[in-house]
This record gives sequence, C-alpha cells and structure tokens, in this order.
Amino acid sequence: MSSATLRLSNQLAELERASRWLEEFGRREGLPPRMIFEVNLALDEILTNVISYGYEPGETHGIVVELTLLPQTLRVEVEDDGRPFNPIDVPEPDFDKPVAERPIGGLGVHLVRQVMDKVEYRRVEGRNRLTMTKSTTPTSPTGD
Amino acid sequence: MDIAEVKQNGIVILGLKGRLDASNAGTLESKVLALIDAGERRFVVDCAQLDYISSAGLRVLLMAVKRLNANGGKIAIAALQDQIKEVFDIAGFSSIFQICGTQAEAVATVQ
Repeated sequence: MSSATLRLSNQLAELERASRWLEEFGRREGLPPRMIFEVNLALDEILTNVISYGYEPGETHGIVVELTLLPQTLRVEVEDDGRPFNPIDVPEPDFDKPVAERPIGGLGVHLVRQVMDKVEYRRVEGRNRLTMTKSTTPTSPTGD
Repeated sequence: MDIAEVKQNGIVILGLKGRLDASNAGTLESKVLALIDAGERRFVVDCAQLDYISSAGLRVLLMAVKRLNANGGKIAIAALQDQIKEVFDIAGFSSIFQICGTQAEAVATVQ
C-alpha cells in the first residue's frame, strides 16, 4: 500500500501544486492518466471550495490531503478546519434549464460526483473530512 | 495560464494555454467582460493548448455565452483536448456551446 501526504495553505495558487503532486503520485504508481485527470479535477474542486468559502478573509490555515492506494482503489482524503461544509448536500444542477436560466455555479460538486465512485463527508472534532474513492481499473464506470 | 488575443475580421480569437482553474479564472473573466463591454460580439476560444479546466473556468465561459446570447453576440469553442471535452460533457456544456474541431471552423461558425 502506497500513500502520500500534502500540506497546503488556503490560497488558490496552491491548486497547481496539488495537481503536480497528484500527477507525480499517479506516474510513480502507474495509474491511468485519464483516471488521474479525473481525480485531479475532483481534488481541485474540493480544494477550491475549501479555500474560497471555508475561511474568513485574511486568515491563514492548513489543509491536508492524503492519497492512499488500496487494492484497485485510490482514496483521497481532504481535511480542513474551515467552516462546516458538506458537499454532498449541494443540490444537482438542473440541466434542462435554458442557458439564460442556468445558475453560474454549483457545477463543481456535480463534477466531483460524476468523476469519483464514492464521496463521503464527516465533521470530526471541528474539522471537515472528505473521503473520495475511485477504482483504478480503467473499465470501471464513472459517476453514480 | 496564458491568454493570447488576436482580432481578425471583427472576430476576437482567445487562445488559452495551460491550466484554467480558480486561481486564474478571474483573469479570463475580466478580459472577456472588458471585450464585451467594449462592443465585441464575436468570439472564438481556441483550446488547443488548454490542458486543464475546472468548474471555475467553465463558469467564465457560461457567463460569456449568457451575455453574448442576450446581446446578439456569438461564441464558439475550438480544438478541445479529449479530457477537456469530457469535462464539457459531464458539465452539460456540450449542448450549450458551439464546439468545433479547429479554429478555422469556429471562426466560420461565428462569422
């Protein structure tokens, strides 16, 4: 079992560093590039939410990301001490609406749900802990 | 992300390069809004060198298409890499945008 841990500060400039770190892990472990792209997207969306909405402006906080390669599954855990936020509660966007009525936003969590197999949220001792998993088998279905 | 801006025959062609995420989507948003406010109505977004997009980038494109639909403008997206096309599909954007294989096709679409 391989694992890796990354500590980030709550700044959007950290998104690119997280992405490079994840790609490096994927290459090292021989994971499919398409899968890594999708996990990257999910991690980016979650980190973007935490960094953009989790804290009062001007505060500096740490966010911890942990990758664990289990048999046939990659697990990504994101832990932060921002305000409580459960992405699973975010309603699905309505794709039947005409363009003019589509809300600008709400898409990020939808993308996460679609590309990951499973998303779980817990609030533990004043911290948000989000756990996402995805099969490492390229033929596995994405989404629901 | 780098944004290359070219105007030819009344069409603004924006070439995006690198990563479009929440850290730089605001830059693209300001540029597009400024161009629309300045009266530009025909846009092509060339994504041949765009390696990554998150919902923050999609949001800017959605905002642009809404504005342009409302004021009689046109926008087309060109040369999406496969993985970015997948993000467009998942986000339901493939039905909102004119998506073309090449920049030339996109230019012809908005002409």
